[in-house]
Amino acid sequence: MGLNRRAALGAMATGAAAMAGVQTAKANDAKILPQNKMVAMLYDTTLCIGCKACVSACSEANGLTPDTGESGGIYQMPKYLNDKTKNIIKLYVDEKTGLRSYVKAQCMHCIDPACVAACPMAALQKNPVNGVVTWDGTTCLGCRYCQIACPFNIPKFEWTEFNPKIVKCQFCDHRMAEGKGPACCEVCPREAVIYGTREELLKVARKRIADNPGKYFEDRIYGEEEAGGTQVLYLTHVEPQLLGHLVPLGKRSIPEEVESVQNTLYMGFLSPIIAYAALTSVLKKRWQEHEQEAKHIEEQTGLKEQL
Amino acid sequence: MNAHWERALRVDGPLFTKWFWALAALAGAAILLSIYRTYAGLGAVTGLNDGYSWGLFKNFNVTTLTALGSAGYAVGVLVWIFNRQKYHVLMRTAALISILSYTSGMIGIGVDVGRPWNIVWVLDPSTWNRYSILLEVLICMTGYLLLGLQTENLPAFVERFLEGRYPETWKHKADTALKFVRRIYPFAIGLAFILPSMHQSSLGSLMMLAGPRVHPLWQTPMLPVLYLLMAYILGMAAIVGILMISCLAWNRPLDMKILGRLGYITALATMVWLALRVGDIFGRGMLPLVFKFDSYSVFFLLEMVLINVPGVMLLRTKWRDDPAKMYRMLVMLTVGGLLYRYVPTTIAFIPGDQYFYFPTIPELIISGGFIALAIIGYLYTVKRYNILPVPLTYWYAAQGKSTAP
Ligand code: SF4
Ligand code: SF4
Ligand code: SF4
Repeated sequence: MGLNRRAALGAMATGAAAMAGVQTAKANDAKILPQNKMVAMLYDTTLCIGCKACVSACSEANGLTPDTGESGGIYQMPKYLNDKTKNIIKLYVDEKTGLRSYVKAQCMHCIDPACVAACPMAALQKNPVNGVVTWDGTTCLGCRYCQIACPFNIPKFEWTEFNPKIVKCQFCDHRMAEGKGPACCEVCPREAVIYGTREELLKVARKRIADNPGKYFEDRIYGEEEAGGTQVLYLTHVEPQLLGHLVPLGKRSIPEEVESVQNTLYMGFLSPIIAYAALTSVLKKRWQEHEQEAKHIEEQTGLKEQL
Repeated sequence: MNAHWERALRVDGPLFTKWFWALAALAGAAILLSIYRTYAGLGAVTGLNDGYSWGLFKNFNVTTLTALGSAGYAVGVLVWIFNRQKYHVLMRTAALISILSYTSGMIGIGVDVGRPWNIVWVLDPSTWNRYSILLEVLICMTGYLLLGLQTENLPAFVERFLEGRYPETWKHKADTALKFVRRIYPFAIGLAFILPSMHQSSLGSLMMLAGPRVHPLWQTPMLPVLYLLMAYILGMAAIVGILMISCLAWNRPLDMKILGRLGYITALATMVWLALRVGDIFGRGMLPLVFKFDSYSVFFLLEMVLINVPGVMLLRTKWRDDPAKMYRMLVMLTVGGLLYRYVPTTIAFIPGDQYFYFPTIPELIISGGFIALAIIGYLYTVKRYNILPVPLTYWYAAQGKSTAP
């Protein structure tokens, strides 16, 4: 399970606080701080020239067949992220103002990932050391709840395979094991996407904002706080939600919100157990009465009870 | 004159009618297509895609239809929790509806998951993500099916072997089985209450994790409560509706006193549900969205009308005394309730980009075929076992006696 998940007791407290409408700032802080040591990416829309070198490098590094669908088989040109595409560059153009921006879309490696919370079989895991979210097919049911849950619409499914896999960016974890960085970051000619620890990259981003007043939309770093924070960070000159990939999300992670509701109902599984214990004691009595009445009727009418 | 249901009695008449064969053909086609789907992948037979990754099988056959399969839960709560033993005569029908609907839903899940062979891992708790709502749903449903529903349905099945024409050893075994069921019964009905309460609410919680991807008219922390109560309402509507159709089809008298009571309880539950639903819309300040008249608000209003009208009508005795009127209201309520359970999963699900989903024909056949399978199960069981309720006179007539001894 995700390393951010609090113990049942802690979660119960969060649930109770959520009920009372209190934001538990403390729990959130405790969650975000250690994450800053984890690996991260920073993508800057003002630097990207849309060359898509990162898209090709990604397929090559991950052994994916390039998706040439939209170009009629001529060159790599995926329409969306799909089972052959873990990374894509999209273009946003405002028809009226001519304002344009590229945006890179891939897994955000959320600090409290909804996909990991969703997966029944823990086939999706968040690495406790570097925070990378990876998929392991050994136990995956192919239920696709991860696809429903991910707010960024990231995990993709092999729809036409016999033993379909979930496909998504894994931060080139196989390359990191060899001491290399993610392929997209290493190939980018403009350093529009770079990698490092989350702490370092937040510093870099803040410095860029400070050095270039007015350049970035609302001087915001997308991913710093969205949905509890993500390990992929964005600096954009356009309002993030216009770009398609960077959906508007609250500060609190969605799994945490859901968990607080579930915990108010379940109280760490205590309520079903107590309810069952209380119920059976009542039911045992009811059942005895029922048996007696059935016996009584049988004696009177000769009709055996139909349970 | 009102008939008074007291005993369960099997339906006379042939099983293999033309209806039976039509259903069997549909179910057969579904099974063949399911086998093909295993080899060719889900994309080959369904309209599912990376945006709408859940379609008919999961969202309709399981999330939506097991609400109707909550008949056993709904009647069970009345009989055992509220101690209304007069409804006990409906228990067999209700438990049968439940076991068939859940079995059919579970087959649906089996075909829907991409790597069904990995289901074996569910047996190994070390692989569980115990925070996953879907895991909870899967385990609670299986548990309910195997522990609760099997126990509730077993007596009607084994009872048959107590009849004269079976060998002594069979009788002996049936007797032992019945004794065993009676010993564990209170524990089983306890589970048959707790487990559906859990998974019917969690079917709603499932969509909560989709957060802003479900339209705010449906996305609410109240989803689990609303889903559970709707399961209760639809379970009630299902038992009344199915008993009405069955009695009509096989020429048996209706006990309008019992059915009318159930209709009333359904209406009361519907009122509570509506209060929660509307209160939630107000509470979250979503009222402006209701009158936006985009497709979401239209679906919302449609749902409201389909649930409100029968809810209000069934409160009045006039509408409950007349079987035809009550039936029509229940059908309307069922359509509205099913719509409520389905909409958040698909129609109000907003995956972004330009994803589009509409079930393909093979997908519709598979989905319909699993439902046909459940109906076949129903026809077979009520014609072979004592399930459906009748007045005592019918019972004695079937035993070859004209009156009670
Ligand atoms: S390689 Fe760099 S500049 Fe080229 S599209 Fe990718 S992020 Fe942009
Ligand atoms: S972006 Fe989606 S797939 Fe990636 S970690 Fe977050 S929830 Fe999981
Ligand atoms: S499809 Fe696989 S990885 Fe995704 S939630 Fe289901 S079991 Fe987990």
